[in-house]
Amino acid sequence: MLKIENLHVAIGDNKVLNGLDLEIPTGEVHAIMGPNGSGKSTLAHVLAGRPGYEVTAGSVTYDGRDLLALEPEERAHEGVFLGFQYPVEIPGVNNVYLLKAALNAKRKHRGEPEVDAFEFLNLVREKMQLMKMDESFLSRGVNEGFSGGEKKRNEILQMLVLEPRLAVLDETDSGLDIDALKVVANGVNTLRSPEKSVVLVTHYQRLLDYVVPDHVHVLVRGKIARSGDRTLALELEKRGYDWVTEEAA
Amino acid sequence: MSAALATRIAEDFAAAGHASGDLQRQRAMQALTERGLPTSRDENWKYVNLRPLEKVRFTPATGEPQAPVTAQDLPALVAHYSRYTFIDGVFAPALSAPTPNAGVLVKSMKVAAARANPISTPDLRFALLNEAFATDGAQILVEPGTDCKTCVELVFVATTEAKAGASYPRVSFHVGAGAQVGLIERHVSIGSDANFINCAVDVSVARDASVKHYRVQQTGARAIWFDTLTARLAENARYQLHSVNLGALSARSTVHVQLAGERSEVGLFNVSVGGKNQVHDTFALVEHIAPNARTEQSFRGISAGRARVAFNGKIIVRKGAHGTDSRQSLRGLLAGTDAEIDVRPQLEIYTDDVRCSHGATAGKLDDNMLFYLLSRGLDRETALRLLKWAFLEDVVAKIEVPELRRQIEQSLAGQLNEAAALKELF
Repeated sequence: MLKIENLHVAIGDNKVLNGLDLEIPTGEVHAIMGPNGSGKSTLAHVLAGRPGYEVTAGSVTYDGRDLLALEPEERAHEGVFLGFQYPVEIPGVNNVYLLKAALNAKRKHRGEPEVDAFEFLNLVREKMQLMKMDESFLSRGVNEGFSGGEKKRNEILQMLVLEPRLAVLDETDSGLDIDALKVVANGVNTLRSPEKSVVLVTHYQRLLDYVVPDHVHVLVRGKIARSGDRTLALELEKRGYDWVTEEAA
Repeated sequence: MSAALATRIAEDFAAAGHASGDLQRQRAMQALTERGLPTSRDENWKYVNLRPLEKVRFTPATGEPQAPVTAQDLPALVAHYSRYTFIDGVFAPALSAPTPNAGVLVKSMKVAAARANPISTPDLRFALLNEAFATDGAQILVEPGTDCKTCVELVFVATTEAKAGASYPRVSFHVGAGAQVGLIERHVSIGSDANFINCAVDVSVARDASVKHYRVQQTGARAIWFDTLTARLAENARYQLHSVNLGALSARSTVHVQLAGERSEVGLFNVSVGGKNQVHDTFALVEHIAPNARTEQSFRGISAGRARVAFNGKIIVRKGAHGTDSRQSLRGLLAGTDAEIDVRPQLEIYTDDVRCSHGATAGKLDDNMLFYLLSRGLDRETALRLLKWAFLEDVVAKIEVPELRRQIEQSLAGQLNEAAALKELF
């Protein structure tokens, strides 16, 4: 589904990704781990098309298409979803409006009619129950005054409503207590299917107890330094990142 | 004011037959001749475009447009508000329905009523022009203790080309002690003529009374709209003024509120959205005269295209006005590379023991917010419209008349009223 080859990315003069290679087949869950500043979030943002990142070399192919040539909204229409590490507060735009507008944008792209109002509400209610979110969240401004945990749940709620084919979740587990972590993990597991792929960017292996990945990759200085199965994550939990960093050097 | 302009105003005054008219009119004309109209060299007038005045015929239009105005031409009615319509400043009884509330007297004002608030500062000079020329207007007298929270709607319709005649909306609004009143005041145009509208509103709120005043300026794309509003609040009086500026090629509003009574409270909530080559300029002065009075002032302005949107919010705390509590939140949004926003909070304090806070920002749309919406699949145009809407929302939300708010929302953001409808489902 996703093939990243020799990806080099700079932010201004700062080279963040330095020849990253990664392939994510359809139906798999891959965890990207790594120390602070290794380029994890940059990778997530580049996949979603955030401005300010310069791709200096390499390619990203999504379903055989050049992903980097697409605008952020086109990527979303094609089924790419970024779960933000720091979800943005947008006072004045209410959650339910955003959800509906996002869903309709995708349907429009596929040539489908706008979602029926009742069908939409039923869908949202069902997903909110799963995320253990109160319905009052819907009429509030997007992420406005939400706690850290509420924001992350809201990201996963959006993901479940939009049903992306490739979900890139950027440190969705950070700042969550254990109960919220389970709820979020449950949401991610609900999305899992043979047609969908998930990239979990995370600093800790804790999330991986609940969302068991097919593969684990360690990012060091903008390159994949090591790949393995979930036991790699457990090893990192025990030994830290230093040994991988040293090996990479 | 150029000599040529002064001469023309005097000639038009004579041509209108006003030179031998009532004394108040003549005094206004005399004061105007002595003081002149402001120019762009005046400190508080530098953002406004005064050039269109050169082409104006100041003689009042007759209020009898070539094509008759029908109810369909007017904005949708607002439930429980009694509508009074004025065509080019002249009362149109056929398009009006009297208020059933016995405590509220609304009169067509053929003869100038005495002003509750003197024209005390040079910034109020356009009110003199109105006083000299206006031939009609609305006088609203509210008896003490009257409960009329959804009360009167004034619709001022401009139909005449500025070269042919001017429109002088005039309102004299006096609220008795303890009364509670809601007033809607709208300014619209019919046709696409370059109207010249010069509006003067005079408000007095007696002790313990509470007024919510909604003003919507949606005049035509070529209209020139000048406006002067003065208000004076007595002890414990509350006055909320919600102003929404959307229309006109060039609009200038001058507001002067005097907090003359102890514990009086004013809320000024102003929204201004300009695009293309529009100029919107508001100068709002609040004068704290009595102790323990409060001001809350919010401005949200968006400037797109080649527009200029300016807001100057000034608060003066006079000697003896201790315990003053004033808050200003002025925010401007630049939505185009050729657009201009001028946001200016000013404070003059002549007493101790006051609490005055102000915040003013002018900036562009937040890139993080934009990317967030795009990443969810919203197209750029929708995302931008949504963010502009969100920028105004906290001030628009203060409009407590649902239909009016919805009409404004509709004008502002097209399909976004759908969000409001959905909101009610939950």
